[in-house]
Formats: sequence, C-alpha cells, structure tokens
Amino acid sequence: MEKRGLRFYADIYRKILVQDLKSKMSYRADFVISTFGMIMTNLSGFVTFMILFHNFPTINGWDYYHMLFLYGFSLVALTPVQCFFDNNWNLRFMVQSGDFIKYCFRPVNVFFYFMSEVFDVKGLGQLAFGIGTIVFAWIKIGIPVTALVILKLILFLVTASLFMIAIMNFAAATCFWIKGSGYVMVIMFRFKDFAKYPSSIFQGVFKVIFTFIIPIAFIAYYPSLVILTPDDVPVLSWIAPLFGLVFFYLSYKFWMLGVRKYDFTGS
Amino acid sequence: MNPKRLLSITRAGIMEALHFRLGIFVTLFANLIYLVLVYYLWKAIYASSGSDVVNGMSFTDTMIYLILATALFNFLEMFVVWDMSRSIQSGKIVLDLLKPMRFRKYTFWSYTGNHVVQFVLTFIPTFIVVMIVTKGAIPMGLNLLWFIIATVMALLINYNIEMMVAPICLFTESTWGINIVKETIVLLLSGASIPLAFFPEKARLIVSYLPFRAVYDIPLSILLGKSGSDTWSGLINLFALQCAWLIVLTIAGNLFWNHAVKKITVNGG
Repeated sequence: MEKRGLRFYADIYRKILVQDLKSKMSYRADFVISTFGMIMTNLSGFVTFMILFHNFPTINGWDYYHMLFLYGFSLVALTPVQCFFDNNWNLRFMVQSGDFIKYCFRPVNVFFYFMSEVFDVKGLGQLAFGIGTIVFAWIKIGIPVTALVILKLILFLVTASLFMIAIMNFAAATCFWIKGSGYVMVIMFRFKDFAKYPSSIFQGVFKVIFTFIIPIAFIAYYPSLVILTPDDVPVLSWIAPLFGLVFFYLSYKFWMLGVRKYDFTGS
Repeated sequence: MNPKRLLSITRAGIMEALHFRLGIFVTLFANLIYLVLVYYLWKAIYASSGSDVVNGMSFTDTMIYLILATALFNFLEMFVVWDMSRSIQSGKIVLDLLKPMRFRKYTFWSYTGNHVVQFVLTFIPTFIVVMIVTKGAIPMGLNLLWFIIATVMALLINYNIEMMVAPICLFTESTWGINIVKETIVLLLSGASIPLAFFPEKARLIVSYLPFRAVYDIPLSILLGKSGSDTWSGLINLFALQCAWLIVLTIAGNLFWNHAVKKITVNGG
C-alpha cells in the first residue's frame, strides 16, 4: 500500500464533512438551539468575568483589559477542539456498544477517520466571540499592529489549541480501559475554565502540575505573554510550540494504544 | 405507595452506582484538584483587592462556598435530560411508562440511589477536606441540620427543573442544546459560578427571587450563616422561598409532563 499524502486525507475530510453537515441540516431546530446554547455559555462566562471585575479592580497585577485579552485568547484557542475533535465525546458510547469496530475496518487512519466524522458548527460562534474580545482588548491596550505580531498571534493560538486537544484525547481514551469514564472528560473540560486566569497565581508543586501534567497554563497564559509583554517573554512561552506538538503526539499515541487494546464487545 | 417498595428502587440505584466505583473516586479526586484551583485563584484575587472582606464574603467564605457548590453540583447532577432522550430514541421509555407506578415518581426514586452514594462517597469527604484546609471555618451547630434539610429541598427543586426541561427535548430533538442552556442558566443564576453576594445590587435583587437560587445559594448560605440565615426570621424566609418554588415547579412540571407524554412517538424499541 502506498503512503497516503496530506492531499488524500484532506480530500476525504472534505467529503465526510459535507455528509455530516447535510445530516445536521435535517435537524434544523437542534442546530439553532445548540448554537444559541453555545452563545449562552460564552455570555455566561463573560458575565462572570464582569461581576468579578465589578468587585475587584485587578487580579495578581493583571488589569481588566489584559485579562480580557487572555479571556479572548483562551476562547479562540479552545475553538479547534470544539470544532474538529468533538467526536471524542461519543467515543465511550461507541466503545461500549461495540459500534466502534466499524472504524477499525477502514483503510484509513482510525484516529483521523473517527475525528473527521463530526464537525461541530457551534464552535464557530465561540470563535467569533473570542476574536471580537481579542480585537477589543487589543485596541484598548494599544498593542501595535504589525505583520510580525499578527503572525506570532496566529502561531501561538495554534500552539495553545494543541494543548486542549491533547488533554481531551487523553481524557476520552481512558474509556478503553475504564468503564463509565465519562467523568474524566467532564472534569477535564471544566478545568479549561481556569485557563482564562494568569497562571502566575499558582505556587509550588501545583505550578508544576498545572504547567506540565494538566497543562492549563499553556491554553492561554504562556502563549499570550508573547503578545502582551514582548520585552519580557519567559522561556516557557518560546518552547510552547514544541511542547504542544510533543504533547499532542503523546495523546495521539495513547489514543491509538487504546484502539489496539480494544476488544470487541461482540454485539 | 408502600415506602418499602420505594426504598427497594433506591437500593437498586445504590448497587448500580457502586458498580462504577472508579468514577466515584475520580469525581472525588477532581473535587480536590478543583479545590486547589479555587484556592489559588481567590487567594490571588483577595490579595489584589487589599481588603479581607468584600461584600460580606471573606476569602475563606468564598472558597467554602465555591468548592461546596461544585461538590453539590456533582451530587445533584441527574442527567435526566440525557437519559430521557436516549430512552426515547431506543424505545426503552415505553417499558418505564408501563410500570405500575407514576413515571415521574419512578424516575425520581430510580435516581435516589445514586444521590445517596454520591453524597456519602464524594460530598462528605470533600466537606471534610474543606474543613481541614480552612481549619474548621465552617460553623458547627444547628446550621448543619438546616443545611441538610435545605439540600434535600434543593434536590427536589433541581429534579423538578430537570423534569420541566427534559420533555422540551421531545419537541425539539435537541438534547445537547437544551441541556447546555439549562445548565448555563442554573449555574450562573444559582451562584455556583460566582457567589451571588458579588452580583451588582439590582441583579442580585432579581436573582434572589428566582428558583435557581434555591438549588445552590440557599443551602450554602445557610451553612455559612449568610443572607440572614443566622436569625430565625431569616431562616424561615429562605425555607419559605424554597417551599414556594418547590410547590410551583411540582405543579407546573406535572401539568407539562402530562401534556408532553401524549406527544411521545417511539420508533421501534
């Protein structure tokens, strides 16, 4: 079998995507309500944020607009996991019912095929919300707009998104070993709420844990420092892209290990 | 209905919940990590504010409030919306409707077992850890008794909110969407995301009369002796609010369900 290039996979992805969107369109009410729900969660996060700053002027030396930037950054960074990797949430049901076996019989990468099956349109609302927040904070802080800064922003947004994808891959793949592991995903998904706060608040051993083991510090804090404090960027921010790739690769390997371990329920 | 029979449903639920022991430990472990996150975040927030007490809430109060709100959330979470839409899809709901017992009652009692297990194995350990971390800042006395009563009321109110929302899925074919809207509204307006004491004056006034507050804010305020619950009249006010909403939601939920159940169409099963 010859090696398949990126083009082959891009082509397949496009075909599956079109089918998925067609099937979603047949449930129009669901689509409208889900989009509304997504906007509600973002609004609720925003309201919480406003209430917090209504009572406290700064958090750990971060003022309102810097925090807003961080918040917008985290929203955009969390979009890819929402749009492209949403099928992780169905993994445990498929593994339990035995439907997962169909993915193993196709001559394409199992991980790719599984993820490509769902494209979550709702995530786009979050993306728009996040970009709006970043632009607003950007103007208020007065960061200069140059091609280099924009390029950096995009690079580090992509970097940041890798971490959340990796966390969710790890969490979802636990279902190959643990029955009823839905909790793990729900919990990990809740940790992302803390990504929007500066990670400098953590101390001691927990700083290490939230940086290297459950890397929520990399979802927004370290990558956004590259833009916010260009004169004083910590080393961890610069190595974030590399670290993100490694982390993503490990999560992929873990996921695939689960697939190999998967023994069919036989129904 | 014979209470013994109801308790046998609870027992079945307990056994079912204990089957997923690992999940319980994971929940407990996650509560503890959450405790760490909340601790550092609010420590930093209070350190920046320069004063020890903001809107009548000290750092310790806020921490206890938010962590126990999360623990209560895990304990009250019922997944009625998810379970109902799945059993409609698979047709299982027909079997439940045919049972010689009212559906709403049966559903409620089938969840109680899980509540008991979650309360004993996740809520109480979390509570103990919070006590240790805050060096016994939770007042110990009659308020514990009132807290438990308020929590049971909260559980009933939460169940009625769930049962109001679940049938909407029958009409819209949207489970995730309905559920996320419900969860977002409940978590924000009940004080589980940020204590209601921090809300701006006007917003707090409106929120204090809504049913969502009865789920998280009232039990936690009673536990901490806030919102006037340290006086008899204040305490009675809070309980009266819970009772009023419980009655309204039970009646409304019953009417809505009786209407919705006629609309169920099950394909196969």
